[in-house]
Amino acid sequence: MRAGAGSLRLRLLGATLATLVVALVGAHWWLTGLFRDHVLQQFDASLTQQLDQLTARLEFDAQGVPVIGPRAMSDPRWEKPYSGLYWQVQRLTVFAGQSSAVLRSRSLWDAQLSLPDDALADGTIHRHHITGPRGEPLRAVERSLKAAEQAESRWRLMVAGDLREGLAAVDRFTGVLAASLGGLGVLLTLAALAQVAVGLAPLRTMQQGLQRVREGRQQRLQGRFPNELQPLIDEFNGVLDRNAEVVERARAQAGNLAHALKTPLAILSQAARKVEPTEFSALVGEQVEVAERQLHWHLARARAAATHHVPGQRTALEPVLASLLRAMGKLHADRHLDLGADEVAPELAFAGEEQDLQEMLGNLLDNACRSARAAVTVRASRDGAWLRIVVDDDGPGIAPEQRAAVLRRGVRLDESRDGSGLGLAIVVDLARLYGGDLELTTADAGGLGVRLSLPAAT
Amino acid sequence: MRLLLVEDDPILRAQLREGLEDAGYVVDEADNGRDAHFQGDTEPYDAVVLDLGLPLLDGLTVLKRWRDAGRVTPVLILTARDNWSEKVAGIDAGADDYLTKPFHMEELLARVRGLIRRAAGQASPVLRCGDLALDTRSGRVTLGGQTVTLTSHEHKVLDYLMHRPGTVVSRSELTEHIYAQDFDRDSNTIEVFVGRLRKKLPPGLIETVRGQGYRLAVP
Repeated sequence: MRAGAGSLRLRLLGATLATLVVALVGAHWWLTGLFRDHVLQQFDASLTQQLDQLTARLEFDAQGVPVIGPRAMSDPRWEKPYSGLYWQVQRLTVFAGQSSAVLRSRSLWDAQLSLPDDALADGTIHRHHITGPRGEPLRAVERSLKAAEQAESRWRLMVAGDLREGLAAVDRFTGVLAASLGGLGVLLTLAALAQVAVGLAPLRTMQQGLQRVREGRQQRLQGRFPNELQPLIDEFNGVLDRNAEVVERARAQAGNLAHALKTPLAILSQAARKVEPTEFSALVGEQVEVAERQLHWHLARARAAATHHVPGQRTALEPVLASLLRAMGKLHADRHLDLGADEVAPELAFAGEEQDLQEMLGNLLDNACRSARAAVTVRASRDGAWLRIVVDDDGPGIAPEQRAAVLRRGVRLDESRDGSGLGLAIVVDLARLYGGDLELTTADAGGLGVRLSLPAAT
Repeated sequence: MRLLLVEDDPILRAQLREGLEDAGYVVDEADNGRDAHFQGDTEPYDAVVLDLGLPLLDGLTVLKRWRDAGRVTPVLILTARDNWSEKVAGIDAGADDYLTKPFHMEELLARVRGLIRRAAGQASPVLRCGDLALDTRSGRVTLGGQTVTLTSHEHKVLDYLMHRPGTVVSRSELTEHIYAQDFDRDSNTIEVFVGRLRKKLPPGLIETVRGQGYRLAVP
């Protein structure tokens, strides 16, 4: 199937693949977002739990200085310097000379967490992204509280954890997800290709059927097609049938016209020759001949023009040639000619109407029989897309300088016709209507060698 | 020589009949296929001129029926459709020659002469028997180069015999071939014609075979 703006296959594949890409990219974006949110939630939940623990451990001594109770915080990371998990207790109302950070986890070592200023309602938890003592991104949760014993001072409790672990998990998930979705995309693409191929297979069958019709190996499209295509096939076959019918009718009408006109012409011609020759009878005789010539010419042309575009034409050469040679043998019985066709291969066929082939070969053979001394030979072969037919006779032939003129007569109606002794004009005209040609040469036997090229049917 | 002319157009038929009779043929007519078939099936014609487009039964069918029944009379078909497929169909149906309308009378006469001659196994248009020669084209009869003047009936009898040298031809056969169908035939007149011919030709050329008929002696 040819690719192009009009390719059904490309359209289907394009639409499918575009949808697929949008769906997969969207799914990736959505799932990644979901997972990131989930990871952050988990992280926040764990930090909040630590904050609750810190809040529970916080006590104040008699001077109102906060202390962490004797039951130490349980997580070992509180003790390991820069472990990535920190807590800090900070005075919110700072008096001169007082350090704001009052208590810190051991893991903070000598650093201090600095949170942006925040107007906190007591008890609520706020979250922040901050930078840790070693420049790592930290997620922090904080809450403020007031010790019941000291109404004047408020405290800010915070717990922070290293976010990178969580982010690494998100990155891993993103990678795995991208790979999975990519794999899914490849599978779905293959499935789409297979689907399009299977779905469009009947079109391919139809195309092959049409080709066979065009090559003349079939008269109609054959076989069953899917419900969506069958009406099209039926219509097409209908058109083919109608076409053949129209051609047949046109041919019959042309024949009837000929029949209807030729008997009156014959009568006129006889009458004109019967009377004493006068200018009038000469005129009638002459004009009858012109009329007859025109009739013959236009009928042949009309028939060829009507038929040579009809698809599905195939005429085997051998039977046509055999019947013509049989007829020639009888028509030229007096001349005792040796009429021979070199073994014509049965598969040789003309991509056109049987009557047109008969007309061309009939005229060529008749000419050859008229001019031959003793023998006429016919040879035929296939040359690529062309059928080459050679008709040789051993008669006087035509001088090379006159050949062009003989063929040119075919172009000019009033000069054509048997007056030249050759009915080649019609043959040239028919051959050219089929895209073929006629060439005059000297035969091996010395006479005229006519080479006719016609489109071959497979 | 007696011909059957089958043509449905009355004017053309009359013209053809006149032309053929002027050339010395005895002509029977038919204007439709059914009559033509019957006449050709029952009468011994020397040749048939058959138009293909006929009412009641078309010419090709008539021809096929004659051939299927074993009639070998030479047939010239007249056709208005001058494509080779028609000509081949005609020849394949058993025609011996064809002529496309419109045609010249001379052409028709030449074809008919050729057909009759070939059917009798004669290759040359000039029939010879010793010094006697009959040119089928002009109808001229010569004896040793000298023209022999014959009446129309004498000519018909000689023409028939010259086409069949050495063959015995019965009186009734001669009658059938020199008179048209509707003519009041009298076989005794044949004897009169033969008697006159004998006087104009060398003695012994036309032999009488007792109880059978006449024979042209081959030298």
